[in-house]
Amino acid sequence: MKKIIAYIRRKLSVRVSLWVVFFAAIIFIAALGFLFYQARETVRQEAVSRATQILDKTSLRVDSILNRVEVASTMTKWLVERHPDKSDSMFVYSRSMLENNPDFYNCSIAFEPYYFKDRGLYCSAYTKFIGDTIRTIQGGSENYQYFFTDWYLMPKLLGRPCWTEPYMDLDVATNTSEMVTSYCIAITDKKGQMIGVINTSLSLNWLSQTISSIKPYPHSYSIMIGRGGTYFVHPDTTKITRQTIFTQTLEQPDTALTALGYAMQHGEEGMKQMSINGEDCYVFYKPLGKTGCSMAIVCPESDIFSGFDRLRRTIMTIVIVGLLLMLYFFIRIITRELQPLRRLAKEAETIASGQFDAELPDFQRIDEIGQLSQSFGNMQQSLVKYIEELKETTAQKASIESDLRIASGIQMGMLPKKFPTRDDRDDVQLFASLTPAKEVGGDLFDFYFRDEKLFFCIGDVSGKGVPASLFMAVTRSTFRTVSVHESMPDRIVTTMNKTIADMNKTFMFVTLFVGVLDLPTGRLRYCNAGHDAPLLVGAGVGELPCDSNIPVGFRPEWKFSLQETQIFTGTTIFLFTDGLTEAMDANKTLFQMKRVNDVASRALANQQQEPHQLIAQMTEAVHLFVGNAEQSDDLTMMAIQYIRQQSDVQMRKSIVLPNDTQEVPRLNAFVEEVCQTVGFDEIVTMQIKVAVEEAVVNVMKYAYLPGQRSDVTIEAASNDMRLKFTIIDSGKPFDPTVQAAVDTTLSAKERKIGGLGIHIMRQNMDSINYERMDNLNVLTLRKKIIH
Amino acid sequence: MNVTIQEQDSNMIAILEGSLDTAAAAETEKAMSPLYDVKGKDIIIDCTDLEYISSAGLRIFLGILHNAGEKGGHVYIKGINDKVRAIFTITGFSNIFEFM
Repeated sequence: MKKIIAYIRRKLSVRVSLWVVFFAAIIFIAALGFLFYQARETVRQEAVSRATQILDKTSLRVDSILNRVEVASTMTKWLVERHPDKSDSMFVYSRSMLENNPDFYNCSIAFEPYYFKDRGLYCSAYTKFIGDTIRTIQGGSENYQYFFTDWYLMPKLLGRPCWTEPYMDLDVATNTSEMVTSYCIAITDKKGQMIGVINTSLSLNWLSQTISSIKPYPHSYSIMIGRGGTYFVHPDTTKITRQTIFTQTLEQPDTALTALGYAMQHGEEGMKQMSINGEDCYVFYKPLGKTGCSMAIVCPESDIFSGFDRLRRTIMTIVIVGLLLMLYFFIRIITRELQPLRRLAKEAETIASGQFDAELPDFQRIDEIGQLSQSFGNMQQSLVKYIEELKETTAQKASIESDLRIASGIQMGMLPKKFPTRDDRDDVQLFASLTPAKEVGGDLFDFYFRDEKLFFCIGDVSGKGVPASLFMAVTRSTFRTVSVHESMPDRIVTTMNKTIADMNKTFMFVTLFVGVLDLPTGRLRYCNAGHDAPLLVGAGVGELPCDSNIPVGFRPEWKFSLQETQIFTGTTIFLFTDGLTEAMDANKTLFQMKRVNDVASRALANQQQEPHQLIAQMTEAVHLFVGNAEQSDDLTMMAIQYIRQQSDVQMRKSIVLPNDTQEVPRLNAFVEEVCQTVGFDEIVTMQIKVAVEEAVVNVMKYAYLPGQRSDVTIEAASNDMRLKFTIIDSGKPFDPTVQAAVDTTLSAKERKIGGLGIHIMRQNMDSINYERMDNLNVLTLRKKIIH
Repeated sequence: MNVTIQEQDSNMIAILEGSLDTAAAAETEKAMSPLYDVKGKDIIIDCTDLEYISSAGLRIFLGILHNAGEKGGHVYIKGINDKVRAIFTITGFSNIFEFM
């Protein structure tokens, strides 16, 4: 069944045909149903009228026979009464009765005992057919004393002619018996005294045959009952005279049959529909003249409607066969009409498999299938076009991806690769890592050393991807450019902000933390532009207090604030972007600052706060937390540990000079003395002398207003590693280390006079460092001592 | 700081002795002013006895070189010692002066 339904669902032709046939069948059923109903009604009425007619005719015929019997009997009576004295004549009369009426069964003209003296006790002229011959004999005998029979007594007692109930007539001579009914009429003499009876019988068998011969339908039959309901005519001969119409109802109550019996007994006429022996029948009944009998014709419904049923069967057969043929032809026709669709479907498969050049069939049709075919052709062309475009787009995308990879390489290349460790420096060690979420990211970090300062920054550009990475590159290069000439983080950030905001048309921004760590002193100056506050991991774990300011990039006029703190030896500054605190696991839970603190505390407890250890532990913690979830944001961390150990001072000297360049020879003498004490050779001494002179002359010339008198203090100190000159003045803030260096490769014409001082200082000393402390300019020059 | 200017074989020779520091620079510049007006002659600066030079001193040297260059002359530096040559080298002046 399921298979059939599946088949029907798959076959449009079958489905459509089934629908058509289904509706046709409904129409046929409705029309034929009505037709059949009407036809049946007509057939029924026709059957009723036909049966009624036949019954009437039969009844008339029986009536006419009975009438003939009565008339003949009456005529004979008249003859007999005219000649009552001639006994021989009676035999003639009796004989002529049958001669004239061959359908009569017998005729007796019987007289009272001893009416004819010569005849004795019995005189009955009894005439009967024996075969075709008529035989007339003396009917009465000792065995048959007729004057005691019903037929003789009834007219005598009733005083009028009458029909007897059917009875068995025994023919003594031939010893045959026959069921008969008789008309009996009394013979009277002139005085009105009854002298005999004329009895004329009709064979019930003959009557029955007459009645039975009425067959309006092949299986219809007739019955006749007497006054008491006794069957006289019935197809089942065993019932005749032995059963009444009510006999059957005694065993099986049948109200319809009972009602029929009563109606017939009462001489009614009519039609009844009832079930006889399990068969639906129509029964038409009518009384038979004066006999008191009633006859009925029983017509089985199947007979009445047999013609109709045959017609119905034939029509139904034609309809069903017609519908089946219709179904078959519809399926064939629709299948044939849909054939092009199947071809189209096949071509579509071919196209779907990638062969876009598959040739489509040209149906030359203008119907829907033709339109579909045409649309299909258009679709194919469009597909070919779109695939071409798609190929191109894909190629472009691949090219972009390749570009992105290169961009990522360039971006990573911008970041410092070499991180100073304990082996490289004795004052600071540093480690950083940057993991972009996409190929190119918006996080940045940078650091570099200038003089004895560590410049570093960490930042996070709003957004991700290529725009963020470009912005990051701009930020990073601006940081480098600006910080070359500027050592104060607040001014670095302010200048960067102005530069970036002026060219920022996209309203992107970057949160930035810029720090400058003065390595000799451990002094950290920093400026925070909306970035996460770094952690200090040293004596404990705590956040570096940060002004919030605003991120860099959208308010060019903003003045960023400067903050300062002292970093103690061993302390690690841990910087990060929000990619750390906002790292998400699969359930979108954030890593959060608390976990960062916990990891840092654990690292500190385990004495693992060195930069690469701290970052390794943080990275591991984040990976463990995030699990298999996709990295949601760039993750950048930078750790800076200050490790400078203060050495014992072995020598300390100082000189205070007025701000007059004529004091330079004193300065040079002081420097030479110091250098000799430390043990530098002539050339190095010369270099130091030139450098210190440049630094001091700078102060003398430019730190104060013209004519203003003040002092310059020059301190010299040495440990076993370095010789340090510190030049201190109270003049206007001036950082010589950010002055542009001269280009020593230019030709004589291009060389400018001046600007050489800072260059000479840098070249001759190992480090040069400027600090503004307590309203003093503090410039430090250092030279390594080579043992 | 002593400065001696001589004319010899159509060359101007300046003999510098002592330390040319910032303090001495103004005086030295004044003493060497004749060299700014030299025309059509080469200038030889004899540094054999120059003990020390600061950037102020180098500025004077550069001024002389610029002037001579405009007038088509050469400036030669003679007899420079290692200490002072180191300063010249560091500052890149060794690239723009001619040494004898």
